[in-house]
Amino acid sequence: MSRAFKGRAILPGNVEGEALVTSMGFNTYASFYMSMHTHTETAECSDSGNQDLYGKNMTNKIICLPKTIGSTSGGAVWQRVAQMGIAPKAMLFSQKIDSLAAGGLIVADVWMGKRIYAVDELGNNFLEHVKNGDWIRVREDGTITIL
Amino acid sequence: MNNFGKLKIKMTQEEQDILRGLQGSTMQKIMKTVVLYGEALGAERLVDIEGDGHLVICIAIPGTGPSLDLLDELITADLKTKYPFTLDPKAPLDFENLSLKPEQEKILMEMYKEQSRYDESMLRLGLRDTDAYTCNPYLPEVGNIPKRGTILAWSESACAIFANSVLGARTNRNGAIMDLLLNIIGKTPLVGLLTDEGRRATWLVQVKTSKLPYPALLGAAIGRKVMADVPFIVGLDRFLGSKLNANTIDYLHEMGAACATFGAVGLYHVENITPEAIDHGTDLLLPDHETYVIDGQALQKLQASYPVLWADNQAKPEKCFIGCPHLSMGQLYWWANKIYEALKVRSKSHLEVQTIICAAPQVLEKFKADELVYERLTRAGVNFSITCPLALFDNDLSAGEAIITNSNKLRAYTTARFFPDEELVGILVNGEIKGGR
Repeated sequence: MSRAFKGRAILPGNVEGEALVTSMGFNTYASFYMSMHTHTETAECSDSGNQDLYGKNMTNKIICLPKTIGSTSGGAVWQRVAQMGIAPKAMLFSQKIDSLAAGGLIVADVWMGKRIYAVDELGNNFLEHVKNGDWIRVREDGTITIL
Repeated sequence: MNNFGKLKIKMTQEEQDILRGLQGSTMQKIMKTVVLYGEALGAERLVDIEGDGHLVICIAIPGTGPSLDLLDELITADLKTKYPFTLDPKAPLDFENLSLKPEQEKILMEMYKEQSRYDESMLRLGLRDTDAYTCNPYLPEVGNIPKRGTILAWSESACAIFANSVLGARTNRNGAIMDLLLNIIGKTPLVGLLTDEGRRATWLVQVKTSKLPYPALLGAAIGRKVMADVPFIVGLDRFLGSKLNANTIDYLHEMGAACATFGAVGLYHVENITPEAIDHGTDLLLPDHETYVIDGQALQKLQASYPVLWADNQAKPEKCFIGCPHLSMGQLYWWANKIYEALKVRSKSHLEVQTIICAAPQVLEKFKADELVYERLTRAGVNFSITCPLALFDNDLSAGEAIITNSNKLRAYTTARFFPDEELVGILVNGEIKGGR
């Protein structure tokens, strides 16, 4: 049975994909660190502090998270991974988007023309329901459906 | 959110004119970026930046800073920041201090082949001077010390949290690239840590350890727990005394760097020590705050949970980095004394592990003037560098090396192993990790 959640579309669009879920803060710089610097074709999470995601492929996934954490270098990471073609399709935040994610995703969109769709304020209920591997539909009005 | 007619953020006539392109297409793009950023964060409006910047973007590695194309576009439009700025540490190209393998040097040379062009671009965009590179810019030797209440748009997580918490300035945690754009347009969204309400504490953190906790562990524990919230920390004044002094400032700098690495903390208050906590006390706590109690056992457990990511877990440590974030003058002397005494006790003259200590150019220049202490350390095998140890790991040749550090931040982003200061001194002198771990 599908279940829908309504959030705020920060970078709106229509996309579908497979969920990759973390209940912990997503450390952007640590997660993409190895992929960026070793020029891999897909991005495996290199944040050993994130037991939910460490070693998992993030490319073209829809990452479901509370918010991002860590170094402010993380802002530039979004531009880079979007350029390299190893970015997730979308970032779905249960909480209000944080300044690092907002800044990085918006810069990638405005300056590089690379949109990673972003929806925030989906609520804790969303993170409790969504599971790794769920197929997710994102709509431009911020509606998220777990199919 | 791209329909600007529907945005909730209020704009002045000048801001609207820039958004319409009246000051050129590049300024239009910057304003578009900044306005969307403000809207995403829920800002009511933009406010003027009031002081010098500190930016994280310091090296010409894609993914760590803006692309050179982006910088060129800003320079071609004849733009620069409203106020001068300092930057994070210099690229790791001072090979004479870093004891690298030839293949590592070769890779770094290739990675940083555009660095001089990058540095020149940053000077043209507002970098204060050619030595304005450190992640500890508020040291007196460096002099980027914002006054309390000053509105800023800083990045570098360790610096933003220090500026807010210890100096009482006001900045949000801005990401790389956005930081530069904000400082060029001279405006930042009025939201979060820029507001009185956003600076109130949502967590009461009770430190119930029997001795002063290691700052990089305490900060990590707090960051993981409160994530992006504002903690009000009680119990540290038992060890640090009340009000700020040089030792306390160094302690809080290291604690804050870890808070910001393992969470998204941009501001903390410490009872009887930090300026807003002194003025307002527990009135800073919101009525519905949560409580987190930390004891020594919790910190021990946290340290024990850190994985060993060396290629050979049983290897002897080959190299040590101290100074992430960059050390102050007081910390340099602490290490100088500790190393000297530890060697003397063991009747040794040289450390067993190649050790590199990192600090700001201005701090190292002053320290080197104390020839007795400086030469004592260099004779013991210590090198000094102005770079960022983190940047050395930006290639796969360093991954898995037997590197040790006292920085929990460096550990978090690399394969280096972490040991608190006192334990690290013993390893440097003996060349072995106690218990063979």
